[in-house]
Amino acid sequence: MRHSIAMTVNGRRTVLDVEPHRTLLEVLRDRLDLLGTREGCGVGECGACTVLLNGRAVVSCLVLAVSADGAEITTIEGLAKEGRLDPIRTGAIQCGFCTPGMIMAAKGASVLEGNLCRCTGYAKIHEAIAQSASPPAGRETTSA
Amino acid sequence: MRPFDYVEPRSVDEAVALLSRGGERTRLLAGGTDLIPRLRRRQWRIDRLIGLRRIDGLRDLTLEDGVLAIGAGVTLEELAASTTVSDVCPLLAEAARLMASPQVRALATIGGNLCHASPAADLAPPLLCLNATLRAIGPSGGRDIPIGEFFTGPGRSALRDGELLVQVRVPAVEGRGVYLKFSPRRAMDLAVVGVACFRSHGVATVAVGAAAPTPLRVPASPDEAAARCSPIDDLRASAEYRREMVRVLTRRALEIVP
Amino acid sequence: MTLIGQRIPKLDAADKATGRSRYIQDLRLPGLLEARVLRSTVPHGRIVSVDVSRAREAPGVFAVLASQDIPPKRYGYAKDTTALKGDRVRRIGDEIAAVAAVDADAAAEALDLIRFEIEPLPAVFDPERTLDPGAPLVHEDRGSNLVRTHDYAHGRVEEGFARAAHVVEGTFRLPAQAHGCLGPAGAVAEWDARGRLTLHDPTQIPFLIQRDLADTLGIPPSDLRIIQPTIAGGFGARLDLYPHEIISALLARAAGRPVRLAMDREEDFATDPVRPRTVVRMRTAAAADGALLAREADVIVDCGAYVSWGAVTPIVMMHTMGSFYRVPHVKYRARTVYTNTAPTGAFRGFGNPEITFAIESQMDELAARIGIDPVEMRLRNANQPGEVTPQGSRITSCGMKECLEAVRERMPPPGTRPPGGRPLLRAAGENLVASATQTETESPSSPAICPAGRIEGTEPARSPLRRGIGVAAVFHVGGGARIYRSDGCGAMVKIDDFGKATVVVGATDIGQGMETVAAQMAAEELGVPLEAVRIAPADTDVRPWDVGVHASRTTFIAGNAVRAAAKDAKRQIEAARTALGLPPDTPYDKVVRSEHFRDQGSLVIGRAYFDPPNAMVDAENKGNVSAAYVFGAHAAEVEVDVETGQVRVLRVVAAHDVGRAINPMYVEGQIEGGVMQGIGYALLEEVILREGGMSNPNFLDYRMPGPQDMPSIETVIVETNDPSGPFGAKGIGEPPLVPVAAAIANAVANATGVRLRELPMTPERVWRALRAWADVEAPGEICGKE
Repeated sequence: MRHSIAMTVNGRRTVLDVEPHRTLLEVLRDRLDLLGTREGCGVGECGACTVLLNGRAVVSCLVLAVSADGAEITTIEGLAKEGRLDPIRTGAIQCGFCTPGMIMAAKGASVLEGNLCRCTGYAKIHEAIAQSASPPAGRETTSA
Repeated sequence: MRPFDYVEPRSVDEAVALLSRGGERTRLLAGGTDLIPRLRRRQWRIDRLIGLRRIDGLRDLTLEDGVLAIGAGVTLEELAASTTVSDVCPLLAEAARLMASPQVRALATIGGNLCHASPAADLAPPLLCLNATLRAIGPSGGRDIPIGEFFTGPGRSALRDGELLVQVRVPAVEGRGVYLKFSPRRAMDLAVVGVACFRSHGVATVAVGAAAPTPLRVPASPDEAAARCSPIDDLRASAEYRREMVRVLTRRALEIVP
Repeated sequence: MTLIGQRIPKLDAADKATGRSRYIQDLRLPGLLEARVLRSTVPHGRIVSVDVSRAREAPGVFAVLASQDIPPKRYGYAKDTTALKGDRVRRIGDEIAAVAAVDADAAAEALDLIRFEIEPLPAVFDPERTLDPGAPLVHEDRGSNLVRTHDYAHGRVEEGFARAAHVVEGTFRLPAQAHGCLGPAGAVAEWDARGRLTLHDPTQIPFLIQRDLADTLGIPPSDLRIIQPTIAGGFGARLDLYPHEIISALLARAAGRPVRLAMDREEDFATDPVRPRTVVRMRTAAAADGALLAREADVIVDCGAYVSWGAVTPIVMMHTMGSFYRVPHVKYRARTVYTNTAPTGAFRGFGNPEITFAIESQMDELAARIGIDPVEMRLRNANQPGEVTPQGSRITSCGMKECLEAVRERMPPPGTRPPGGRPLLRAAGENLVASATQTETESPSSPAICPAGRIEGTEPARSPLRRGIGVAAVFHVGGGARIYRSDGCGAMVKIDDFGKATVVVGATDIGQGMETVAAQMAAEELGVPLEAVRIAPADTDVRPWDVGVHASRTTFIAGNAVRAAAKDAKRQIEAARTALGLPPDTPYDKVVRSEHFRDQGSLVIGRAYFDPPNAMVDAENKGNVSAAYVFGAHAAEVEVDVETGQVRVLRVVAAHDVGRAINPMYVEGQIEGGVMQGIGYALLEEVILREGGMSNPNFLDYRMPGPQDMPSIETVIVETNDPSGPFGAKGIGEPPLVPVAAAIANAVANATGVRLRELPMTPERVWRALRAWADVEAPGEICGKE
């Protein structure tokens, strides 16, 4: 049986019918084409699917879409509009698969613990987050 | 994941009614952080999921009459961040902070952690030390289960069919405590062994996780604690090593809270 | 020069940071089906029957294949397997049947409807027992589990040992390490009406896959086009043709629709071509003054159930055996063996971390016996510029000494004063320490692989914590590696009507920054801004030949090709200016347009093919396989909790000779990432096998270091300006991982007096090693109990 849910996704009110066994990650990717949220493990152990749910960073693979009814969701595509892209300047990106999840965690989690990266060794990711925490005036932004 | 039905009751009574009617293939959804991986791996087959998020009161956290009453739906993040919890039993807040990652702690609940009844549940040793009581409501009404009687085996608890854990009640007792979680990684890891110690009015209580089929209260002596636990060999550690770590960590915990 | 040596962000960084990059999971095609594979749950067995009839009837299913439905074409180095197994399964995870359906759930449901019977056979899992008489045979027809023996010798090793003042001997056991690319493996196959296949595949070897896969499918290689999506990590994991690539193509052909076979995490782990389990028995001899005299090793490498790159790692080990330090007498034998486990593959360093762990452990053991400083021991035996090793490696540029000195300066051994007066940065000279950057991780508490049971703040009377420092060096290829007859790469540089340059280069960007480095070099050579250069898409229909991204070869090989192609384009521009009578400062766009808008005009397309001046090894396994070699040295400081066995890395200094850093930011990225993977290899990561299958196929139990597990890493870039490198550059992809485990093991020995010869050094392993020596109260004694 499908359930009708309403979410605000990246500021846009979104109503859709979902099956109860679909995760928020699946719905974001397969129904809303928000492909920047990635599945690295599907069981909450890598952080690549991190999104903001009512402002808090969560792993979207462990959230059923039905239980996100009424929630406000922000994905990397929503954040990208703000032009906050510090990893670009610091070399924090290599293969990039973890990057959106890292950025979302930096935005909505108290500490960076739950995001795996296999390329960088994390040093430049910590550096990027530190830079974004104190944005210099008139800093360059990149719009992609 | 295989398809299933989903309902969101508005009250505990409604949830209990749904749960009692549902039988084995009806499960409760709290944070989902243990459940969803099981469904994804097809370890469990379910017909219906009862989502608890719309039930009033399950996320309340209050201190009244010397008892910290924690709703079963309080998340680990709330537990770790709550000034009330940090004031009354910092031990519990500390254990919550050491679990999983922020993105999981924002979802996972205290009730889910306890009902999952993992031998390695990080919240269990502190709650055992603090003499918590678990309030359950079932078809025939409510009852309080002392936490020492709650865990009956790996993945098994004293909850009866149709019963729902609604509240964790921790008596506010003056004292000092510590939780030592021993794991190879700093975050995103399970305890190889976890040892909680709480000393109040000169009396120390020690409880261990991942060292027996259930989280366990052990004597407040390193050697006796090691003798009392009954760990297993698995891919995370050998029984022999776990027993020795219980000894080492118990000694350290007792030193930290003199 | 303006762009060489600049910290330029990757060209695709903005796309990656905004979630716009498209990985294999993100591909959307009309009618795309999703595939799942039925895999063996027994490690060895005879396939009695496979019945897919019910699965074919299942809703949403478009194609179901078992071995009888596909060409019985064997593939792989030893031609010892087929994509779907017919008569035998030889490991847990072997592919039995495959389904393509409208979505992954429908495919999974259909898999449940396949009936199959497998009669279990005895299996063998331990590479050290698989050659025992009577051990079950993985491939009965081969008559033995021995895949191949590699022998190498120079000098007379017995003479060296006879003359030795000190000999150390030991057996080193290395675990299987999984790649853990954050994006799981997968491929998307689509056929057109004329029978031409397009495979979207995040492979590291598009041009080799083109040939091998076409052969397996029975089509001409020219009918196979490989398009690489953004690649979510490589590290060697995507360096061969794998069953999922073949199966996706076969399913797509059977279904008449495009098919994606994308693995989930567990499947990715269970089929990962891991770094092979390796056992190294080694002895090393030195004279009283520390000069190395002889080195001998007997190595066993687990190749798993089928031969892939894992079985080739002995070749790289052999080069390290024969050329790392100046050793007059060397003897080496390696045997690769079959077991009923997943086929092993290539993983960053490719045998070198394994053999270097043994060599560098024994360097410290010898230094302790002799009583000299471990860095001094290494300096005494260091490779030199201009040297030709007995193995045949022609050392052109060599910064080994500089690297060793750099780490000693930054991490002096305990109880010694830092060498006074020496400036950290030298202003000029042939061997120049170009930059040293300290990158502090922003951990909320001190950096570590953390002992959570560690007592913070309350120091007990007798601290269980011991600190120590360890050093290890690395020798690796850095100018290609001729393991095929070709070690080449092609490049073209097209100048368009608007004065912009398109670089078409065969090499593959797996996140390391190849495309950015290629753009930097082309822009530099053309004298245009970086923004005027773009990189053509990763498509075998467009890009010219390249062997693949492996062996730390890309900056050197592709860089030389791109640089030469850009030079050629520039030469054509200059020729056109002259021919058209244009002034010498006429901008590119005007020159090109003038060519296009005249009679008998011409295109400006520079092209070059670079195949380095190196050689395949000869019958004695000697030869100069690389056009340049790279060197490095690491120092690690650790703290060992002797009661729990937990090792915590406090600090790493990593110095690498890279010839020339084209983009220091991404050189540091390679070093920091390599150190992270090396720390994982040293302390945390191990594929744990149960009945030959991986019992920890998830990120919780296969522990890769997380963001809070890294120490501070100080990177030191040593520039030696290799004469044949593009702008002096050499490779840096693999070397940073290679010495990490040895440096940490040496530091643990330094801290506790106990030497670990088995990885990973988990708390329990360290605890057992410590317990084997009753007295743990002698901190800081160097290898006192060896």
